[in-house]
Parts: sequence; C-alpha cells; structure tokens
Amino acid sequence: MLVTWKYRPRKTFIQSLDPRTRFIFLACIIFALTIPDIWDYRILVPLFLLSLTQFLMARIEWKDIRRPLLFISILVFFIVGLNGLLSGRGGPSSVNDPNSPILFQALIPGTTWGVTVTISKLWFAMNQVIRILSMALPAILIPYTLDPNIYGTTFKRMGVSDKVSFTMDLAFRFLPTFARDLTITMDAQRARGYEMDKLKGGLIAKIRRLAPLIIPVTMQSTVTGEEVIDAMDLRAFGTAPRTWLKNLKYAPRDYFIIGLGVAIFITCCVLKWGVGIGRFFVPEFFTRLLT
Amino acid sequence: MNDNKSTWEFGTRQVVYGAIGAALYGVLSWATNFFPLPAAGNITFRPAVAVLIFFGVAYGPIVGLLAGFIGNTLGDLISGFGFYWNWSLGSGLMGMIPGLIMLAITDFKARSQIIKAVGWGALGIAVGMLFASLTEMFVGGIDLNTALVGYFTPAFIGNLVVTAILLPILMIAFAGVAARRGR
Repeated sequence: MLVTWKYRPRKTFIQSLDPRTRFIFLACIIFALTIPDIWDYRILVPLFLLSLTQFLMARIEWKDIRRPLLFISILVFFIVGLNGLLSGRGGPSSVNDPNSPILFQALIPGTTWGVTVTISKLWFAMNQVIRILSMALPAILIPYTLDPNIYGTTFKRMGVSDKVSFTMDLAFRFLPTFARDLTITMDAQRARGYEMDKLKGGLIAKIRRLAPLIIPVTMQSTVTGEEVIDAMDLRAFGTAPRTWLKNLKYAPRDYFIIGLGVAIFITCCVLKWGVGIGRFFVPEFFTRLLT
Repeated sequence: MNDNKSTWEFGTRQVVYGAIGAALYGVLSWATNFFPLPAAGNITFRPAVAVLIFFGVAYGPIVGLLAGFIGNTLGDLISGFGFYWNWSLGSGLMGMIPGLIMLAITDFKARSQIIKAVGWGALGIAVGMLFASLTEMFVGGIDLNTALVGYFTPAFIGNLVVTAILLPILMIAFAGVAARRGR
C-alpha cells in the first residue's frame, strides 16, 4: 500500500497563485451561490464556465483525475441530479410548479402516487448539477495543485493559530509513516495466516477481524507520540510564537483573483437582494423546445 | 463530564496527538474509500471512525476535533476528492464530543467506562453526521429528506456499528500500553 500525494509541480497560472488566494476564491464562489441562494441559469452558467476554465487551466493529467471525477460524477448526476428530476426537492418551492407541462408520468393504478417529471423539474435538475459542479471543480483541484508541504504555512498565514497550523503540518508528515506501518503490519499478520482479502463471517465478525490490523498501528502511534512530545518539549515548543520556513507573498495576480472572487460574491448578493435576479425560473426557450 | 481547564488544554500533547489521530484517520479513511468493506444497502463501514473516537476519549476534545477535521481533509486529499469543509467539520465534531468525557475515563478496561465511551461516541457520531448532512442542504442543494435518509442514516448506522465493535478493543489494548509506559 503506497500513499502518494496527488500533487505534481506544473508551470501553470493556477499553481503560480498564492495558496491563500485559491482558498479565498473557492470560498467566494461557494458563498456567492449559497448565501444569496442563486438558482438563475444566467448567473449559474457563467460561474460554471469560470470553474471549468479554472479546472482546465490546471492541466491535470487525465489518468490522475479520472477516478475521483467518476466518483463525483456518479454522486452529482445519479444521486443529486436524479433526485432533483424525480422529486424536485432540494431547491425553491417554485420547482414543483403544478402548471408546468408534464414530460413523463408513472402513477400507481387507482392512486395519485407515483413519479411525475415536469419541464420545471428537468430544468431544475440541470441547474442543480451545474450549480454543484461550479463549487466542486475548484475543490477537486486542490490536492493536485497545492504542495502538501505548504498547507501548514497557508493556514497560519490565513490567521489560524500556530498550534493548529503545526498540527496540520505534523499530520502531513506522519501520513506516509503510518501508511508504511499499516503495510508492514498487514504483511506481518499475513505471515501469521491472516487473510485480509477473505474476511469471513457476518458483518460484525468482519469488523472484529480488522482489529489485528488497526490495533497494532494505533497503539504504536501512541508510543511514537510520547517520543515526539518529549522531543518538542525539550525544544520549548509553544513557549513563544513560531517562525515558519516557507514564506508566502501575494503577487499582483493574487490581488486580481481575490478581487474577482469578492466582486462575484458582492454581485450575486446585489443581483438577488437588490435587483431581484437570481431566483429559479424556467426560461421560455426551454419550455418551447420540449413542448 | 468535566469542563475544567484540563479538558480544554491545548499544549504540545494535544498538538502531537491531534496530528497523529489526523494522520491515522486520513490513512484508514483513504484505505476504505478505495477498498470498502461490504455492507448492506448504501451503508459503508469506516473503521477509521473508531480510531477517531478513541483519540477523542483518550486525549480530549481538542485532539478529537483536530484529528477529525484535519484527518477527514487529509483522507479526501489523498483520495483526490478535493476539500469539503462541512464533512471535515462534521468529522471534527464526531471526535470532539466523545472527548468531553476524557477526564471521566480513568480505567480503560472497566466495562462501565467502556460503555460510557461508546455512548458518548454514538452521540458524537449523531451530532457530527447530522451537521455534515444538514449543511449539505446548503452546499449541495439537497432536500431535508435526502439529507436524513440518503446521507445521515447510512453514515450514522455504519459508524455506530464500527465504533461499538472496535472502540472497546482499542480501549482495552490502550490500557495495556498505558500501564507499560506508566503514562
């Protein structure tokens, strides 16, 4: 079992940005869509295209990204999208407009129970998929385009305390060690006849049989922890503010991207609460296309 | 429940065990993300949750919170899924709440204290997964029914079963390790 970071250094605009800029921009996009509760396709489509552009600009290799993309696509299209299409739930009440033309209906004979797909629900499901992808695409990029050595510094420079930032930094360093410990333990248990691939018995028995794998790794880690604490205490950890090896500095392009993110958030708020644009509605062209 | 200074102490010990708990939770979550344990319906078992709750019970709420929040983030990052703050925070709550009884657990082998730890673990799972599922309504645009039936219920059942089975084993093993080290 080999734990490898998804990050690769690439000469792209996305990776030339300060990591703080990336997190702030992501937050701006999420807040712009969720706080004013935007469901208008005229806002959703440009934001989706912006996220898609960001995703393509990162130039992540297909072989690296295909598995998580498949997983997220199944979640977005089949769970969230299909649920929206069939039930119309998850959005504003206007989605379940009783006057919307029916596209498909399957009712239990003699009852009013069943599935009714209307134009309004179909449009809503499409909007919902676009809305979620607009928020998910920039988030998927993070592990592929952000150096794992810089997370601690990033959070510190975003105002998180020294101790929390150091915990994060230390966790990143421990991760490959524990993955290696897990592999060694698995091999050692296999040598004693433990069959990881063929866990027999019912559900409870299967979970119990994981104990020979999990317990040694967890207990060894608690022993390691005491040694690390001693070493850190000897170096007077926590008695004064820390300095950080990596330094982060905003460049003009960072100010531009942060400004863009803030402008998007403010624009969405003004459009929704000031101008009244942003609510869910089915455009004429879509209704005409299907009727 | 103790609510004095030492429950919420945040020193070197909490930093180190928060990081260790996070790394373990991240590695074990990653392992079960790609090699899921077979279960019924859409319930998935994540043995990592028992480790997270154990760290909360053994080292306190701060360690549980850090291990859950950072560990879930790490697990998602190494799986290539991205960063989902609400599920990370939900995992943090799942580790923090059992940590509130840290000072009440004096004997990790005693049956009554193990039952108490599992009970607080169940409360932590309920609160953490409910938080993550309900915030998904705003983040993911799902409705309350999907949040409760599609997200919360399978996560709660799967995590509870794993905790009820593995947490007592972890606590008994830890009692032996702690006795040998004298800490």
